[in-house]
Amino acid sequence: MQSPDPGSFRDPASRVVLDGNKVLRLLDRRGLEGWRALAGTDLFASAVADRRLIGTTEIDDVPPGSAAALEHPMLPFIGYPYEWTFTMLKDAALLQLDLLRDALSQGLTIKDATPYNIQFSDGKPMFIDIGSFEAYQQGEPWIGYRQFTRQFLFPLMLRAWVGVPFQPWLRGDMEGPTPAQMARLLGKKKLFNTGALFHVRLQARVEARMTGRSVRDDLRTAGFSAELIQANVRKLRSLVSSLEWAPGGDGWSDYGSCNHVSRDRTAKSDFLEAAIERTSPQRVLDLGANDGHFSTIAAGAGADVVAVDSDEAVLDDLYRRSKGSSLAIVLTDLANPSPAQGWAGTERPSVVDRANPDLVIAYGLIHHLIYHASIPPREVVGWLRTFDCPVVVEFVSPVDEMVEKLTGNKLAHELHPDRDEVNFRALAGELFDIVDETNLSSGTRALFALQPR
Amino acid sequence: MIFGYLDPGSGSLLLQVVIGGAAGITVAAKALRQKYQLRRGKNLAVPGEGETTESIEDTALPTDS
Repeated sequence: MQSPDPGSFRDPASRVVLDGNKVLRLLDRRGLEGWRALAGTDLFASAVADRRLIGTTEIDDVPPGSAAALEHPMLPFIGYPYEWTFTMLKDAALLQLDLLRDALSQGLTIKDATPYNIQFSDGKPMFIDIGSFEAYQQGEPWIGYRQFTRQFLFPLMLRAWVGVPFQPWLRGDMEGPTPAQMARLLGKKKLFNTGALFHVRLQARVEARMTGRSVRDDLRTAGFSAELIQANVRKLRSLVSSLEWAPGGDGWSDYGSCNHVSRDRTAKSDFLEAAIERTSPQRVLDLGANDGHFSTIAAGAGADVVAVDSDEAVLDDLYRRSKGSSLAIVLTDLANPSPAQGWAGTERPSVVDRANPDLVIAYGLIHHLIYHASIPPREVVGWLRTFDCPVVVEFVSPVDEMVEKLTGNKLAHELHPDRDEVNFRALAGELFDIVDETNLSSGTRALFALQPR
Repeated sequence: MIFGYLDPGSGSLLLQVVIGGAAGITVAAKALRQKYQLRRGKNLAVPGEGETTESIEDTALPTDS
């Protein structure tokens, strides 16, 4: 039974359908021309070999109405740019530019430039939209240039130059800032930077004056060539490479050095390893993954792991350290996780729907939801049950030193009731069986392994 | 040429000539010559209504140094 991928419908030449555990790409006649142009190149062979491009095989079983069908491997998790860290988006931008450079050198082009065509595999970006490649027609400009600036370059500039995280913008407007919006966001910053001048200010100005006009024929007649695109790509590569973000010390970057963390780490690792031994999970969701210590243990046991946290600094550091590992890194606030959105509310499924775990780790998490985000304990336990799989969870008592920090500015009557361990056991017992438990050395924290009823 | 599914933005396409640097100068010069010739042609013909050819007119084309 084939079902269309809800995020693959914009390009009529190439659509992805899911068929059981298979990922198929169905091409129309034009899509087939693009595939034929790509398949014979050195670029295709080398980029698939070094995992810059997703593995692709043409199959004989072509459904009626399609000109050709390709098969890709199923990726364990699909992530979106509003869940990526700065370095992830930067690496994805560089991959996009490098592939375009290599494509042009072999008579091809990439017809769009969106980070939704890139996923992370083994800790590195990988281009997944084979349908984006097509033969380059002499005289054609780079059609994806504006999209590249809106979805890659401007978000990176926003973080590097304006000091504002790009993820909320991309989550709210998946197309990214327009040149005019980016010019306003920049204000008087980078007045003498040629990248800001051309890609932001001049693009905004020219766009305002050229709306509704057709220029492609003019450019072709005037002799536009791939050489011009290559020059633009070289300059963009240099600009993107120069964009840096140095996280401040306001997050959890030094979490590992906190007293309770180093003290309890061995006990928590042992408890998790016992749960992994018991449940043999293939897919682990680490909620509040922080520096990725427990995600790494799960990945070491052979699971595909989705590591979720709301702190960009720690996740960016984890990304830099996770090359070659099976960790998927997701930046999102669990009190407000990425929702289902896009066309018809189904184009980009929620992060929870994409995770589909068979073991959840919730270490060092629920006290933040209860005391910082003011989620009632009953709601938190009920939410853990919605994953419909075993959970290992760390309970933190109201007298724990971290809870005292979190509640320093709250009065007792402003906190939800049922916060103590007796109530936690009762709430958990309504929905789960407690199959394992242990007290941590602090005396204010305990671990529970919960099995859904 | 079949238009792609993506709106490339006319201004953003045009800008690529400017960003192209030295290689763009020739293209820009040719485009400006086209514009000049088109204007002369228009001045000799009926001005105003009925123009069907939008060109790279009215837009300055500074060159990248």
